[in-house]
Amino acid sequence: MSYIIEAHDIHKSFGKHHVLKGVSLSVEEGETVVIIGPSGSGKSTFLRCLNLLVTPDRGRIVFNGIDITSNRNNIHRIRQEIGFVFQQFNLFAHLTAIENVMLGLLKVKKLSREEAVRRAREALLSVGITEDLWNKYPAQLSGGQQQRVAIARSLAMEPKLLLLDEPTSALDPELTVEVLKVLERLSRNKMTMIVVTHELGFAMRVADRVVFMEDGRVVEEGPPEKILLNPDKERTKTFISKLMELYKMERSRP
Amino acid sequence: MINEILELFNTYGSNILNAFVLTLQLTLLSFVIGFCGGVFIAILRSVAPRPIAIAIRLFVELIRGTPMTVQLFFVYYALPVAGPKLDPFTASLIALGINSAVYQSEYLRSAMNSVPKTQWEAAISLGLSSYRSMIYVVMPQALRIALPALTNEMIYLLKFSSIAYFVTLPELVYTAKWIGNRTYAFIEAYTIVALFYIAMAFAISEVMNRLGKNIAVPGIAAEGMR
Repeated sequence: MSYIIEAHDIHKSFGKHHVLKGVSLSVEEGETVVIIGPSGSGKSTFLRCLNLLVTPDRGRIVFNGIDITSNRNNIHRIRQEIGFVFQQFNLFAHLTAIENVMLGLLKVKKLSREEAVRRAREALLSVGITEDLWNKYPAQLSGGQQQRVAIARSLAMEPKLLLLDEPTSALDPELTVEVLKVLERLSRNKMTMIVVTHELGFAMRVADRVVFMEDGRVVEEGPPEKILLNPDKERTKTFISKLMELYKMERSRP
Repeated sequence: MINEILELFNTYGSNILNAFVLTLQLTLLSFVIGFCGGVFIAILRSVAPRPIAIAIRLFVELIRGTPMTVQLFFVYYALPVAGPKLDPFTASLIALGINSAVYQSEYLRSAMNSVPKTQWEAAISLGLSSYRSMIYVVMPQALRIALPALTNEMIYLLKFSSIAYFVTLPELVYTAKWIGNRTYAFIEAYTIVALFYIAMAFAISEVMNRLGKNIAVPGIAAEGMR
């Protein structure tokens, strides 16, 4: 059993606010882990700790056998191998869709222009971004298209691990579907992913493991059927039933 | 008045044109130096290790806090004590260039601050180093935002280039005074020169406006392409 990433006892405070109170999580190669939990529970902060966008106050993160918390010199090299997809997409606003995907290939991987274009096209097509959109700027794309370009930007770097921070929370329901489909296919193709999301249906279908976080701690984790349908802890039950209620309300809306 | 002006121009046309060329060269070259220096300073101040960033900040405050004439005198009269004597043009170019670098770095810094931090996060998440993130992601957006301020800076430089007068560079103001001394037609001489300044200022603002339109990207507000 080989873990691609292991987080041990991660703590983080912002000022007086103790956001993470000792979170540990290990993810195997090829696994899709979904993190759920109420807002403010520290899910996003934890995810951002994993590629050191946020520096943990305490704890250890081991990526691919390398302790990245103690040796920050290599962090730029490590980040090449960890894709990060943001809730707000964060495409580079001054670059077209294809240039967004090419930047990392040219400036980080130092590929030739030709090779970068080839790989960027491949990555864009793999997330369903067709040629007519390649030369559009982010502001000219829909949210769903932007998020798929952002995923392509990460995938083109051929990461060993993909972190997704509420990738569909900023999207309309119709657009959510197109992004979730891409993620579902990635998961089937054994891309290692950690996804923070509120999409329980997605978690049920795609996750190998669901982690429920609340108040800076992991409350419970296990296979999706267990956590989503039959959790041990009362807190998990309450959260899931609330989320379900919301989901039903949305569906019954005319 | 018009006749006198035309007459003056007939007699001193070549002096005035030479002066015009000098002023233009001084303005454009010092802007280029200021631009390169400004980008360099702005990037270093945001990503260089702390001691270097502090040293640069002190330099910025030093230049901002002293009159440009003093800086020019320093370069022209004081620097040769330690190094080679500079000709008036080079001395003026260095003084104006450094001064402008400091101001342009401040314009760029405020533009960089208005680029969302998330752009930077996305860049470093791809594995770009801090410097590369600045150069390839933050700076290109900041430049678009700062363009109107940089246009202003270039027009300022056009007019400030007249301080080269103090070190006897025969640029426009110097030449106007020189013509006035010979002919007593001060008003006419200065009017001619003023027309040249106005024409150049207008040309600069036109060119920068076009540049702004050329590099415009949907979604990035080069606020007020006035």
